[in-house]
Amino acid sequence: MALSEQAGAAASFERRVLRSAGEHHYLRVRLELPDGGARPNVAQFKQLVVSALKELHGEVGAALPVDVLTYEEKTLSAILRVVSSGLVKLWSALTLLGFYQNRRCAFRVLQTSPFLLALAGNSRELVLD
Amino acid sequence: VPDAALRCRYVLCEVVSEDPRCRQCIEDRAVGLAVRDAIGRVHGDFGLACCSISFTVKYLNAYTGTVLLRCRKDSYRLLCSALPFVRQLESRNQRYPCFLNTLHVGGTIRTCQKFLIEYNRRQLLMLLQSCTNEEERRCVQKSLLSCSLTEEQCLSGNEDDDDDGTDTD
Repeated sequence: MALSEQAGAAASFERRVLRSAGEHHYLRVRLELPDGGARPNVAQFKQLVVSALKELHGEVGAALPVDVLTYEEKTLSAILRVVSSGLVKLWSALTLLGFYQNRRCAFRVLQTSPFLLALAGNSRELVLD
Repeated sequence: VPDAALRCRYVLCEVVSEDPRCRQCIEDRAVGLAVRDAIGRVHGDFGLACCSISFTVKYLNAYTGTVLLRCRKDSYRLLCSALPFVRQLESRNQRYPCFLNTLHVGGTIRTCQKFLIEYNRRQLLMLLQSCTNEEERRCVQKSLLSCSLTEEQCLSGNEDDDDDGTDTD
């Protein structure tokens, strides 16, 4: 897309996707349940993610191939994998999810990358002596 | 002539049902609700909201089961992909199973009208071939010879805000 066209569409959002960046995107997310209560196990967690997609993006969204690669029930954090074309749908669905079993909840996306190895290091959690 | 942001797409489809009583359900409110419900199921809240901008049933004909829907150009793919998921029409507490056949997608009402006239002409020709007696044959032949696009014919009133002359991409 030429630069002049970009300048013309000042208010529109554009996201550039590189073909070589791989077919999957990885997200490290944490589920926050401020009102406490029973923690979901890994199957219930995946069901929650799929139901969030179903609410916002319908049957087509719920059919998006999303995988829970790791899940820690203690901290309610997980690493999700999704096809790159579905990243926007997944992230928007997680953002707009408000309730789990009638309890308030929120998804925090901590890291995202097209490379799984990149999720291993996180400079935000770096402790400097 | 509307600018690129306001361009619409007109989707022409026909309602096909095995039950002849389904014809009485072909009215704009029932069809609009059925299509919206299908979009909501297939594409969720986001798809429903996207397609509902400028969504309307522009024209319908209960005798032939023809329906013309309008939507924004940005969301016509969401609409077209949800049409096969319409399973029934409901009106006045009566529901009948049916399905929608997409015939044509056009940029203006005029292109859809031209297509519909040609399509109906071809349907009449097929009917002519399957006529069983001379009386029917004469009626169908008369209808065939009289179909044409004249300036007086207007589908549903004013076209002033819709006619931008562009065709489908």
